[in-house]
Amino acid sequence: MDRFFDAVFLGLSSGAIYALVALGLVVVFRGTGHLNFAAGEMATFSAYIVWVVTTWTLFGDSALPLWLATIGGMVFGFALGAATEVFIVSPLSKKSPLAVFVALIAILLGINAIDSGRWGPPPSEEIDSLFPNDPDDFVRLFGAVWRWEDIGTLIVTLAASALLFLLFAKTKIGLAMRAVASNPDSSKLVGVPTKLVLAGSWGLSGALAALAGVMVAGSQAQVTPTMMFTIFVYASAAATLGGLDSPIGAVVGGLSIGVVENLAAEFAPGWVGQEMKLSVALLCIFVVLFVKPSGLFGTEKVERV
Amino acid sequence: MTSRSTRVLAVAGASVLAFSVAGLGHAGAGSEEGWTVDTEDCSDPDRANAPIEGTIRIGSSMPLSGGAAAAAFEPAARGLEAYIAYANDNDLVPGYELELTIGDDQYDPALTPGVVNGLIDDGVDVFAGIIGTQNNLAVRDTLNEECIPQLNVLAGDPRFGEVEEYPWTTGLLTSYEYEYGAYAQDIAANFPDSTVGLFYVNSEFGNISIDNFKAAAEEAGLEIVAEETVELGDEAPPQAQVSSLAEEAPEVLVTVPLGAGCISFLNELANAKAANEWEPVVYMTNTCAGSALILGAAGENADGVYTSAAMGLVDVSNPEVAATEPVAGYIAEMEAQGLGDIITTGGAGWNAGEVTVAVLLDALESPDGLTQASIINAARNLDFRPTLLREGMNYSMNGEEDAFYSQDVQVGQYNVADGFYTDIGEIISFESTPAE
Amino acid sequence: MPVKVHWGSPGHWAIRLVWLAATIAVVVYIPTRTQPGTINDMTTALELAAVAMALNLVMGYGGLISLGHSAYFGLGAYTMAVLVDHYGWTQGWTLYIAAVFGFVVGCLTSLPALRLKGVYLALTSIALAVLFPQLVKWQKLEWLTDGARGIDDLQYDEIPVWPILGELDGRRGRAVWMYWLAVIVAVLSYLVCRGIVKSRVGRSLVAIRDNETAAAVMGVNRARTQTIVYGLSAAMTAVAGALFGIGLNGVNPDLRYFTLIGSITFVVIMVIGGGATLWGPIVGAFLYVLVESRTRKWGADSSGVVGALFGWLNSSPATLILAVVFIVLMFVAPFGIVGLLKRLAAKVIVIVPNPAGTRSNVPPVEEGLDPSIDEPFLSASPEETP
Repeated sequence: MDRFFDAVFLGLSSGAIYALVALGLVVVFRGTGHLNFAAGEMATFSAYIVWVVTTWTLFGDSALPLWLATIGGMVFGFALGAATEVFIVSPLSKKSPLAVFVALIAILLGINAIDSGRWGPPPSEEIDSLFPNDPDDFVRLFGAVWRWEDIGTLIVTLAASALLFLLFAKTKIGLAMRAVASNPDSSKLVGVPTKLVLAGSWGLSGALAALAGVMVAGSQAQVTPTMMFTIFVYASAAATLGGLDSPIGAVVGGLSIGVVENLAAEFAPGWVGQEMKLSVALLCIFVVLFVKPSGLFGTEKVERV
Repeated sequence: MTSRSTRVLAVAGASVLAFSVAGLGHAGAGSEEGWTVDTEDCSDPDRANAPIEGTIRIGSSMPLSGGAAAAAFEPAARGLEAYIAYANDNDLVPGYELELTIGDDQYDPALTPGVVNGLIDDGVDVFAGIIGTQNNLAVRDTLNEECIPQLNVLAGDPRFGEVEEYPWTTGLLTSYEYEYGAYAQDIAANFPDSTVGLFYVNSEFGNISIDNFKAAAEEAGLEIVAEETVELGDEAPPQAQVSSLAEEAPEVLVTVPLGAGCISFLNELANAKAANEWEPVVYMTNTCAGSALILGAAGENADGVYTSAAMGLVDVSNPEVAATEPVAGYIAEMEAQGLGDIITTGGAGWNAGEVTVAVLLDALESPDGLTQASIINAARNLDFRPTLLREGMNYSMNGEEDAFYSQDVQVGQYNVADGFYTDIGEIISFESTPAE
Repeated sequence: MPVKVHWGSPGHWAIRLVWLAATIAVVVYIPTRTQPGTINDMTTALELAAVAMALNLVMGYGGLISLGHSAYFGLGAYTMAVLVDHYGWTQGWTLYIAAVFGFVVGCLTSLPALRLKGVYLALTSIALAVLFPQLVKWQKLEWLTDGARGIDDLQYDEIPVWPILGELDGRRGRAVWMYWLAVIVAVLSYLVCRGIVKSRVGRSLVAIRDNETAAAVMGVNRARTQTIVYGLSAAMTAVAGALFGIGLNGVNPDLRYFTLIGSITFVVIMVIGGGATLWGPIVGAFLYVLVESRTRKWGADSSGVVGALFGWLNSSPATLILAVVFIVLMFVAPFGIVGLLKRLAAKVIVIVPNPAGTRSNVPPVEEGLDPSIDEPFLSASPEETP
């Protein structure tokens, strides 16, 4: 039974990361109808910036505390996302949606090249975790081990989702975002600063990605250039599963994928095992989409003829 | 144990004799007596036997950009460039300028033929230090058909010793057969009757390495009780794999992770050790564990890891070793070229460069002068001690009887407190004897 | 004022002949006058062109996003490898089987397209691309695929003797042989694409892309059309993949063109060259290979302008430069290079379709000169209905 909970706890933690990145994808999709293919790389870039900041020694000899650097990283991520929207996505989406896709891929490749080139091969970029991460920092629950780091990741993700929910439901900014998402022209007429809102959506996505990036780097104890590749695939699976315009869907999708894949790997070692974990996640999408083509919590698009 | 010591002594003795007989420097066997390549089936035998004048063009294909694996191997490229620059600055090959071009194949075997063919078109005379088993296999047929030496392949697959079918291809890395054979022998000797668990990256490199270990383990009578893998692109810490291993709690772990995964694995292992009552002994591939720089990043968690000296090279991170003459010279040269941060990881490339130049010098001194054919002849008859090679070891090949340079393995253990390795036991030698 | 040339007139034929002659000249020039390495690069370009053309059917004309074509490419390559390695087939014959398997798998994977729209479809195709290497490495299929180790040593030993050129030595002979095979595959792909685009299936496809409900009302069978097109697209891609595997003398699951990165590359090639045009994918493929073959020799310390601009990067700046080029191209030519060229050419010369009733009742669907085909096929979301 403890193997079961081992898998569940691990699944919740990796699922939390998927959910966080998926949240970013959902925010962008809701706001602008595009998929942020460069989300993974933005996360990595922001994590490197956070690392750079931690190497600065300010105020004498002490370095900046990690949590402060992370906030700085999130600000950087916000700026990166917003800049992408303003300079690349907006101008190109008027011309052709495929052009937007290629441009985002180019950004993905470009950022990756910069990361790999500037900060080179491991093991140079060591970074701590935001949470206590010594070997004995864990709790025992139902006979299984749950590390503080994993608990922390989950809590942060849930907190971020809750904040996002509050943003959308209770604030004017959130209202503006929802307005622009559902009807940009009318929103413009009513006086909603659409350009700002669009940039803000992407910025928010960048900030969430940055947070995810820092947590991922912390869990590996180092920042590496390709750390978010596979996670991006998982996150898009999670967002798809949950419905691309549903933040709840992103979180539910992410956590479920994390848990299901780890359970499958644990309890079906012959058929699934660690090698085919990702395939299980992908097959989940196929199954869910077959039954609900817009994802579990997504809204069906109604087209007027 | 005794028979191995005898073999080591025999090899050492033979080398000493060879050194003294042939004089100082490169003790290459004369090509009148040694193995020679048959250039009749070459696509252009005239070119293969034509003298090379003025500039020796050396080509290579290495990962200079790309994903995780590329990042792990890129310092080797800089090491190779450093040595060739050093060789040119000091006119090591008299009368010749060495021109090195390294193409970027991003560690993808689909791109290597493009790089290599392009370089062949550009008139490269010899290839050296191509990285990656699949990468080298992808171009091996072409290079052998064209009779262009493919020297010092930086991959450890035993297939690079196939002299009869691929005479123009020679390997430099210690064959995985020997590396993992040595670990198996060491485990059987020092941890007898232990259960063994395996952990490796599910790529061609990981699979072939583990295949070789399994074969050696069977011979040594070791019992394998657990086996876990991690996917090549998956950089997440292998938490699930390690906790599965913890379930079986093998006493010894033989691991083949890659790049940053080496550090993640050790960190996860520390977590699992703390959560369970488990203190396994860890053996790790020398591709990552051979570098104190990489293990250093895992801090405490890397303490006590067993590995071996990659290609039999000395441990540059050991201050005592670094102070000895030839090694100090290497470090000084690297620092002069601005590569002080990769003296450990760049060593593989430096070594490849040094062995290549040694081969070129032997070929130059041969009766046929410097031709592509004489280069591969020299390579296959080489008897040489590179700067960074350990005492008691030698690089030698002998035509069809001995197709590997590095057949001696020195198992070592990493010490966090020191920051470098301690030798464990004697050199385990797999040196082929004529009788085999 | 643009010159007007009537469709089917002698002027039109002259243009076509010149174009054909130029193409033949280039195609023949390459194997006879260039180095084997360059020939090999051109072969790769042809293979990528075939894939991009196949992708163009589904994505450009069909409006269905597919980031899963790397799976078909890999399927073709592995079909070839397994048949040659396990069953002793000769390489050439495996191309046919690759086409058949590709078609079948393509039809099967068209099922999501029937239910899903837009980005959701894109994401399931991503799933397909990621699934393929995983399946190849699957324990249960290791008996077939050799898992992560890959299948190698598939060298084709005999090189045919060419009638005019005579017997060529190993490297050049092999290069030329692969090149002509690739030319045949690319030409066939082009003809198939052209045939489809100009046929009823092609028109149905475009109709579905532009307005599905209207198309349904007009009697277009969406399921059948999409399935056939997916099948053919996958078949062409699989053949190109098999060819690629033959050139490489082996396969392994981590090769870039068999993974998601490969799919992305195919889409980028198609868009850069020009989606929904017949020549766009070809131009895109050649451009990509040209840039790639130039930049791969830039080591870590390139000199000159490149070194000055990119010295702070410790590795090869090739990918970064490629990325910048892509972005610039998207601003300058969002419909691809061929799209741009066509717009420019339209200022000089216009091919006028014949009025209804003179040659045929339906104006011919000319490649890309019919503006409705070059229009973006997804309206810029969110929906602009007030």
